[in-house]
Amino acid sequence: MDDFTWGMVQIVGVHTILGLSAYVILLTGQVSMAQAGFVAIGAYVAGMLTVLAEWHIIPAMVTGGLAASVLACIVGFPALRIRGLMLVVATIAFGEFVRLFWFNFDYRIAKGDIVVGPEGGEGFKQIRFFPENGWTTQDVAVFVWVVAAIILATLWWMDRSRAGKVLRAVGEDEMAAQSVGINLTVVKVAAFTAGGFIAGIAGAIYAHYTTHIEHLNFDILMATFAIAYPILGGLANVWGTLFAAFFIQVIVIEVLRDLGDVRNLMFGALIILVMNFLPHGLFSAKVVRKLKEWMGIGKMSDA
Amino acid sequence: MEFVDYLQAVTDGVMQGAYYALIGIGFTLIFGVMNKINLAYAAAAFGGAYASLGIAALIGSGDDFGLPPLLMFLASAVAAGLFAWIVYTICFRFTPDHYELATLMATVGAFFLIEEIAVHATDGEPMDFPEVLQGIIEDPMIEFSDAFAIRGDLLTIFLLALIAMAVLLLLLYRTKLGLATRAVAQQRTAAQLCGISVDRTNASTFIIAGVLGGLAGAMIGAAVGVLSPLLFVPLTVKGLIVTVIGGLGSIPGAIVAGLLVGGLENVFLALRGITERDMYVMLLLFLFLAFRPQGLFGKKVLRD
Repeated sequence: MDDFTWGMVQIVGVHTILGLSAYVILLTGQVSMAQAGFVAIGAYVAGMLTVLAEWHIIPAMVTGGLAASVLACIVGFPALRIRGLMLVVATIAFGEFVRLFWFNFDYRIAKGDIVVGPEGGEGFKQIRFFPENGWTTQDVAVFVWVVAAIILATLWWMDRSRAGKVLRAVGEDEMAAQSVGINLTVVKVAAFTAGGFIAGIAGAIYAHYTTHIEHLNFDILMATFAIAYPILGGLANVWGTLFAAFFIQVIVIEVLRDLGDVRNLMFGALIILVMNFLPHGLFSAKVVRKLKEWMGIGKMSDA
Repeated sequence: MEFVDYLQAVTDGVMQGAYYALIGIGFTLIFGVMNKINLAYAAAAFGGAYASLGIAALIGSGDDFGLPPLLMFLASAVAAGLFAWIVYTICFRFTPDHYELATLMATVGAFFLIEEIAVHATDGEPMDFPEVLQGIIEDPMIEFSDAFAIRGDLLTIFLLALIAMAVLLLLLYRTKLGLATRAVAQQRTAAQLCGISVDRTNASTFIIAGVLGGLAGAMIGAAVGVLSPLLFVPLTVKGLIVTVIGGLGSIPGAIVAGLLVGGLENVFLALRGITERDMYVMLLLFLFLAFRPQGLFGKKVLRD
């Protein structure tokens, strides 16, 4: 495979992580349009740690994720007072607020004969951990997918544990969940915190493979991608998110590159079409059940 | 800054706040009737303004601009009404009623669709939009002193917006269509039992909101001087902030909040500059969410 293909592998990996960050929060029935903001925090924090403080990528990535999760936790609290549509507005505004914060953020230091660090509207250039340490595109792609696989496996396992059931119970019916003794506060804030951590991880990786980030990378389009993957893919399990990230990034954006501008129109049109014909996403609970029956996995329940 | 500078900033801002108020009313109307947010609303409003430019380009030729400014407003309003109806049909009509996530996502899709069509049609370049009094009075200013003046074009826009709001309130409170709209907003099932077609009422509400949005879109074009796809996201965010500060579903709330946000925004602009302005507007929203989540005029009930 050439570098371009490995580059695609990286992009799909990062977008899968991005989608999973929104997936956790969506399970509790909350829509967060702030994911791009959490990604931005992870990206800038991790970037500053590797460039300015010369950390290794892994501790920098985890710290970026933690920083984003702290902010997400703070955002999660108002989510207890406001629900549904108000939360959409609040999170859109929060995401834009974070973007504008980095737009105004300027902190540069001299390193050798060049000046490095985030430079407001000019963005944050020279995040060169990978090239400086001799990682090839292939190495980076493998690294991205190791991280993505860990997150996928953790969420897949969580889905089958009690924690997953609790999240889904809150998502299905808050009142019923509360009446069986589920603490809504803890569950909602935990979902936001976990979603923020995962988004921060996605941001840290994103900053390092693009080597140049600016505030405009973290706009509403990125926030939309984050919730679009799990919603289009379906919330029945983590694989829907993976599939949707692959489908949109590879099929819609890359394979159809020859279509030029028309391709951009297709993203919006595709969302509208899927929501009209498959409102619960491609792999909704119903479809997954049928697939399992068809493959002979779900026979147990019939017996 | 001296007092008169603040006065100037607030005056300009409140007049510009008129179009925030119109956008906020649109969001709030749709929320009131359908209990859902139409994130494609501001995009459709700008779509109308773009369409009016297209119509003018078709009619006019060379230096002769096809439409007088006031007809531009009308064309924009009609086109945006049509776009709003299309958004209703593709995003609301056939998506499940009880699963608002699907509708929300579909309106986000519609937002990007409209934005991309605008980018595609104009190659992403900002388009010049005529001033509201172009050809009638050149560069109108009502000067009170050296430091304080009222821009004539903004004043005209402000008055036009007030007229549009008055017509809307008349429509809602003095006509049968308005009665039906309020009935559906209050209790959908009961309205249906009285023989009101919920679907038709929803569609008409979208068209009314769209017409207001189209006016707002043309006003923004006339006040700023250009139309650009870069305006879509900020105006959507501002409109939503105005809606929440005013109280979801409250029309007077949207009007007051629109003027308030417009006025304060200009003070923030004067104090902190263009790059930080919107951050303070968002902080204002967070203050409201923390201390008065029902907004200025909203009902106490927050659980939907």
